[in-house]
Amino acid sequence: MVVIINNKNTETAASNLQELSVELNLPEKGVAIAINNQMVPRADWSKTAIQEMNDIIIIKAACGG
Amino acid sequence: MIQFISHYNERYTYLDSIRLALDGGCKWIQLRMKKKSPEEIMPIALEAQQMCREAGATFIIDDHVALVKEIHADGVHLGKNDMPIQDARELLGPDYIIGGTANTFEDLLAHYKAGANYIGCGPYRFTTTKENLSPILGVEGYKNIIEQMKRHSISIPIVAIGGITIEDIPDIMQTGISGIALSGTILRADDPIKTMQEIIDITQKYKK
Repeated sequence: MVVIINNKNTETAASNLQELSVELNLPEKGVAIAINNQMVPRADWSKTAIQEMNDIIIIKAACGG
Repeated sequence: MIQFISHYNERYTYLDSIRLALDGGCKWIQLRMKKKSPEEIMPIALEAQQMCREAGATFIIDDHVALVKEIHADGVHLGKNDMPIQDARELLGPDYIIGGTANTFEDLLAHYKAGANYIGCGPYRFTTTKENLSPILGVEGYKNIIEQMKRHSISIPIVAIGGITIEDIPDIMQTGISGIALSGTILRADDPIKTMQEIIDITQKYKK
């Protein structure tokens, strides 16, 4: 499936935000994720499903994005 | 994506303002207390952080890098006259979000290279909340900056800031901006919680 992460089309096998965070090796702290412009608390990542062409913004404490 | 920037007025304290934003569903709070010392900010920051944790919201503090590190906030926002981003990154290490204020593409590029994680870009229009105003950007200003980012193959989340009202949000989101930072629009509303909910609904419905 392809999703848009920080304006870039990105292939992912993840079905929810928690899986995506593992796939992207996101750190335990200093990460904020928004899906379709809605920020999702870390506690809700595992129950937030992602779908084809979802618009995902990841603000993380590592250069770039 | 909405970032609420704390403020106060005759009706609400800093903490009141944060409570209203969280109750309205906002998941990203910036505590800004201009002209206050870290000693004055600390107790409020600790309480605000606790409120944010309970609500699952990201909590960042304006300007005070050492305070952010001391209380383990999620990050810091650095304005034009605050500590340079690379210095803050050295002090904080990789585990904190650092945001920087930019008025032009050149500012944005410098912040990006210095290791910023997001950009607060504005002002959209004239506002009395912030002193030392830079030239206003408007919708055209954002279009221009997004265009230059594409040309330079740069991708970093941008939050539009500065006097933005509900009516402005669709036009701004249309430019490709990632989110909106709000303060006065919420606090001046008759019903701040409902206004925050409405604004989150608008940005959520919006698709590129």
